[in-house]
Amino acid sequence: MRTTFAVIVALVAWLMAAPLVAHHAFSSEFDINKPLKLTGTLTKWEMINPHSWFHMDIKQPDGTIVPWLVEGGSPNQLIRLGVTKNTLKVGTEFTIEGYQARDGTNKAVGRNFILADGSRYLFGGSAPGAGGADK
Amino acid sequence: MLRRFVAATALGIAIALLLVSTLTAQTNYKVPRLPDGHPDFQGFWNNTTYTPLERPKGIDREFFTKEEVLEQMKRAAAEEGEQTTPGTIADVHYDFTQFGLDRSQAPVAVNLRTSLIVDPPDGHLPPMTEEGKRLNAARAEARKRAGAITDAAQNQPLSVRCILMDRDGPPMLAGAYNNNYQIVQAPDTVMVLVEMLHSPRIIPTNARPALPASIRQIEGSSRGRWDGDTLVIETTNFTDMFMFAAQGASADMKLTERFTRISDDTLMYRFTVDDPKVWTRPWSAEVPWKKSIGPIFEHACHEGNYSLTNLLRGAREDEKRAREGKGRP
Repeated sequence: MRTTFAVIVALVAWLMAAPLVAHHAFSSEFDINKPLKLTGTLTKWEMINPHSWFHMDIKQPDGTIVPWLVEGGSPNQLIRLGVTKNTLKVGTEFTIEGYQARDGTNKAVGRNFILADGSRYLFGGSAPGAGGADK
Repeated sequence: MLRRFVAATALGIAIALLLVSTLTAQTNYKVPRLPDGHPDFQGFWNNTTYTPLERPKGIDREFFTKEEVLEQMKRAAAEEGEQTTPGTIADVHYDFTQFGLDRSQAPVAVNLRTSLIVDPPDGHLPPMTEEGKRLNAARAEARKRAGAITDAAQNQPLSVRCILMDRDGPPMLAGAYNNNYQIVQAPDTVMVLVEMLHSPRIIPTNARPALPASIRQIEGSSRGRWDGDTLVIETTNFTDMFMFAAQGASADMKLTERFTRISDDTLMYRFTVDDPKVWTRPWSAEVPWKKSIGPIFEHACHEGNYSLTNLLRGAREDEKRAREGKGRP
């Protein structure tokens, strides 16, 4: 099939016209100038809509523990794909890359959830029949 | 791992699309029926789409070829699965793919149309009347008077406040994710349960009289009837807070929705907006709904638990820093 440049431009315009849109303005809630990387242990997963909240205990260099709250995606699609609270158990250690809340409290959006072996935790992809991911 | 995941998912979509398009090509489809003789629309459906409401500039045809659409949807699935660039606004968000929220992980019906709007044939909203322009200018002015959306919780859109979403409508239009619906039919009533915000639309089909014009509701007042094998729902009596005001419509809009089952996997949803106060002529759009998997899980929306507080406190912190000469706004 021969695709002309004009057709490619038109199709890209078509796709750009219906982008993924977040529920609220995340850049108003979290600070683009405060990127962070936190490693800790899951203590509670609030599977509430439209956004999950992950409670984590973050160990400091001096050994003290500081609790953080991390925002993630809606649980409805995860449940549909077979992911439950048992999939990500309390006590699991992982790292999040994200941005801290604008108000400076210990809250963050979790851009990526990364397991101890360095792989990104694909919640949807980890579910049975979710499309062939290996995590 | 991510690339493999995206590639596998995209391939799954391509196969699903081919299957759907094969089914929709059947002209002798016999719709299943309920004991009362009406077509059976019951079950779970999803209206996720890649197609914009209006035809984008630069496109002058009504349809793409199937090959073009399949190729572009594969490309879109790969792009949605890609990482965003650190330090950009788009990066200040959780990864859609990790949470199963990108469109490639939802059922998507094939749609070769270049826009959801089918009438006017150019795929664009008709010109707005002078009265419509005045109405929308007044709305914009009222929003401006109310202040920034982070000045008060009440200034946030209804969707962020978990009151009503675009999926609710009516008309019911997809968002990025959680676009599932359940239809339940009884002899005198049809119920459409909308997943996101978990709101049921309960529509009488037994010729119950419409509400008097003085009674207005945020989702209007809907009455249904059967036109052959098509379920027709007419809705009026909106308030000015209704979801379609975002498109510019007035509370006096008359909405006519039409559901027709065109294959086992596809329910065609067509709606016509008749709002002479705002648009110079009625206009119509068409969205295929793809069969989905049940059940629908409860979507009790809890934005107020954390995010609303974070949004407002973040704005107060910004203002404080600005007063101290340390940054925005």
